Amino acid sequence: MAIWNKKSFAFSVLLLICLVILPFFLPRFYTYILASIFVMALLAMSLNLVVGHGGLYQFHHCVFYGVSAYTVALIITKTPLPYWVAFVAGPIVAMLVGFFICWFCVRLSKLYFAMLQISLGSLVWALAFRWYSLTGGDDGIHGVPMPEFISSTKSSYYFILIVLVASLIVLYLILKSPFGATLQATRDNPERCEAVGINVRRHQLVALVISTFFAGVAGVLYVILEQSVFPDLLFWVLSLEIFIMCLLGGWFTFAGPMLGAAIMVSLRTFVGIYTEYWTLVLGIILILLIFFLPEGVMGFLLSKFGSTPEQADNGGSH
Amino acid sequence: MEAGHTVTLAAMGSHFFVGLSRAMILFIVSSGLSFVLGVLRVPNIAHGSLYMIGAFSAFAVSIVAGGGATGFWLALIVAPLVVAAVSFIAERSLFCRLYEREHLMLLLFTFALMLILDDLVKIVWGAEYRSIMAPDFLKGSVTIFKSSFPRYNLFLLIVGPIVAVALWLFTNKSKIGKIARAAAVDREMVGAVGINVSWVFAFAFVLGCFLAGLGGALVAPTVSITLGMDHDIIIEAFLIVTIGGLGNMWGAMVGSLIFGITQSFGVLLWPQFAIVFPYAAVVIVLLLRPTGLLKSVW
Amino acid sequence: MRRKGRKQLLGTWVCLVLGGLFLCSLLFLPTQALARNIKVGIIDCYSGPPAVYAKDALNGFKLALKDINKRGVLGKKIEFTTRDTKFKVDIALNMAKELVMREDVDVLVGTINSGASLAVSEAVAKKEKVPFIVWIAKSERITGEKGHKYVFSTGENTAMAGKAGGVALSKKPYVRYWIAGDDYEYGHAIANAAWRNLKKLKPDVKIIGKSWWKPGEPDLIPYITSIMSAKPDAVIFCTGGRSMTNIMKAIKATGMAKKVPIWIHTATDHAVLKPLGAEAPEGVMGTMDYHFYYPDTPANRAFVSAFKAAYGNPPGFPAFHGYITAKFIAKAFRKAGSLNKKKFVNAMEGLKIEGPTGQIEMRSCDHQAVLPMYLGVTKYSPKYGVVISSNIVTLTGNEVMPSCDEIMKARQKK
Repeated sequence: MAIWNKKSFAFSVLLLICLVILPFFLPRFYTYILASIFVMALLAMSLNLVVGHGGLYQFHHCVFYGVSAYTVALIITKTPLPYWVAFVAGPIVAMLVGFFICWFCVRLSKLYFAMLQISLGSLVWALAFRWYSLTGGDDGIHGVPMPEFISSTKSSYYFILIVLVASLIVLYLILKSPFGATLQATRDNPERCEAVGINVRRHQLVALVISTFFAGVAGVLYVILEQSVFPDLLFWVLSLEIFIMCLLGGWFTFAGPMLGAAIMVSLRTFVGIYTEYWTLVLGIILILLIFFLPEGVMGFLLSKFGSTPEQADNGGSH
Repeated sequence: MEAGHTVTLAAMGSHFFVGLSRAMILFIVSSGLSFVLGVLRVPNIAHGSLYMIGAFSAFAVSIVAGGGATGFWLALIVAPLVVAAVSFIAERSLFCRLYEREHLMLLLFTFALMLILDDLVKIVWGAEYRSIMAPDFLKGSVTIFKSSFPRYNLFLLIVGPIVAVALWLFTNKSKIGKIARAAAVDREMVGAVGINVSWVFAFAFVLGCFLAGLGGALVAPTVSITLGMDHDIIIEAFLIVTIGGLGNMWGAMVGSLIFGITQSFGVLLWPQFAIVFPYAAVVIVLLLRPTGLLKSVW
Repeated sequence: MRRKGRKQLLGTWVCLVLGGLFLCSLLFLPTQALARNIKVGIIDCYSGPPAVYAKDALNGFKLALKDINKRGVLGKKIEFTTRDTKFKVDIALNMAKELVMREDVDVLVGTINSGASLAVSEAVAKKEKVPFIVWIAKSERITGEKGHKYVFSTGENTAMAGKAGGVALSKKPYVRYWIAGDDYEYGHAIANAAWRNLKKLKPDVKIIGKSWWKPGEPDLIPYITSIMSAKPDAVIFCTGGRSMTNIMKAIKATGMAKKVPIWIHTATDHAVLKPLGAEAPEGVMGTMDYHFYYPDTPANRAFVSAFKAAYGNPPGFPAFHGYITAKFIAKAFRKAGSLNKKKFVNAMEGLKIEGPTGQIEMRSCDHQAVLPMYLGVTKYSPKYGVVISSNIVTLTGNEVMPSCDEIMKARQKK
């Protein structure tokens, strides 16, 4: 299974080196924004595992992200357990919640899957919102203390970058493995898969659990970066935004969602500096992208760099 | 966790009626959403924004017409037309070019439309709270079952079924309604018979949005008209459409009734967690009948 | 398979590099204003229902700046820049960090969202040691248990409002209470503060029931019907900005105010009563920390007419808070004699300014502005064509604020 070849490997290393040395040249704010992009990128990538590659309508993904973030915050602020316990517990709890919710959802398809997930997810949101004694309600939990080695802007940046790269490698390996190939097959032709003897539902459930795990990892990173958790992290609007990041970046590609995340976060921050109507700007940009770059930004760029046989391959799998 | 006072028959009766009237608004809005979903097979995320524009337009018309009864009726007629016009422009200029595309692209478009409409409302009407009043003959309340029941809610109880019947007649008896229903089931066949499917879609979309606008105009006298209205209604409408059966108008009615009444009874029985009742109802329905209670159009 | 993977990766990394370059190019975005004036960064919600309050506060702030900048502060002008948080805490954090790290503001001001205020207070004000003045959010935790050296509040909070309500109701003969409101932190905080104080002053009161609805719930009539059928002696509604118009409408539609005494904090707020016009319910008891028509002093009248001339409508309580915030900032910098943030913070403690309603002090033990509460009953005023507060009773700031000891104890606890 030859994934890396010299050229792309060199490219990856080069980019990585850039990202590593950037904080020494950038003002602190840009380091912080890059770190937030990394967190969103990981979240979008985890979603795309099941949306783009699995064909599932995961409309309320941020529930798992939020649950993990809350777990971390609650363990650190309410128990005397050490930090690493919180960091590990977050994704595990996200996975458990993911298993529970998605077990129900996998029995349905398409829009019904989405609707059931939104309902169940909203129940979790309502719980976080109303259970003040535990979660601080709509105030949230703020000022979550972090260990020294990741509390400054630069150090949190590096930690998040390391975790992001590690997660990306794992996700890539999963996608290129037989499991990943089967997943894409269940997306394209579930009936044929069943006929060949693949348990489509079980496959999808496993993929969902993996994606919720990584969403949980993103949740942990969020708490490290912002040291706050609040119910907005579980709200359906955020789920929709992540979904849009995947579509925007190109959901049939590997790295598309990361680009989508980068675009949305940058737009939101930098356009927001100049006008309060940045949702209008975002809406217009989305429309332009729909008409001119329908494969998502990444899809467009790939079609420019990829040659025809690859395009035919990609086209065939749609 | 307070269950409140003793649950009397009178209380149950009045809650039932209030839930029913709330369900009427939900029905009008979600029937529009369901119709669009049935024919175009796209969940219109901008549906809530159109509802909000309906409410704001009703406000504007009411002010221009000087308030009172004329203002109210005029608003009810003009506001949905305004919304229909807005949706027509959006559809003909941009949306129709996407019909051949991937479904998720249509979804993305409706999302972008929602973002744009939200800010447009802010630009046109500003951020203030707006409020309009019901006309005099609908103000105040009557006493039913020993509790006060606002006259306006009675009005809604009458309007709801009228809209439902009108919609049913229109989609089942009129030519264009039947064509739209056919297109929902098999768009290729409709095209093969020589009908311009694109215009059918335009009609369906505009009708759906008209209903959203009507819902907004009807709800305007009872709530504060603000910028966040769309987010409140859109999730409820989506859930109702899903449990009712996609594209099924009577399904939207059933779903709205379930939603409205469970919410009302939740308030009576367990006020603190009343919000959970409708969501729980949705979860139960979807687990028992995943495709919705009534037959979905596709 | 191998070629496809390579091309895909190649494309991927090229895009990421391009994206990175794009981000770097943003480095060259000019920061607003180059001369070193005093910079105030305002984060607030300018979209959605809370926007009306945020705009009001900003207008009050701008009005004060007109006069302040004529005289100048330390030979400089005060300028400000705003960021829209869309009532989301994560955006508020992002924007606050942007203002502090990129715009390099001297003072941070905002917002209406209590959660966002607490988040920014901890993650930005405390961590980066930048003074943060909260001007609309009402959570008592901001200057209470979560207060610290770098956060201030120029608005009233739930502890003060609750105590005012409790004091007012303790003078009435009502015993059986129903408490209802928005099911979020603000609603519960008001309920707890009011009940705590009421029970202390009048021990025989009891709660016969509670109802909570989601904030912004449009249909409050079923809740009111439920409450009225329990026949309480009086009702305390704990509704936030989003639900205020809805609850007032529902009260009017059901005629509740004629049957049961009601108290709601901010029931007498002009921003709530104005859109309802003559249709607002009368006879509802309310508390507010600012009215444009009371006290009818020359200072208040001058403020109101200047505001009206500039912005077309009379000022609400956020405008009042915005106005005094500007005055506090100006006077504190003048007293500190420099732009040093630590000196500014020290100067703010115990500082007194002249506001439209009289002298206002920034209490040094908790950084909370000492504001009076005006208790009144809604009544239609032919003079203004709307329903306003009448029979107003003033409770001074010191009567309604928790004592310094209580604050210190609350901060110790965490």
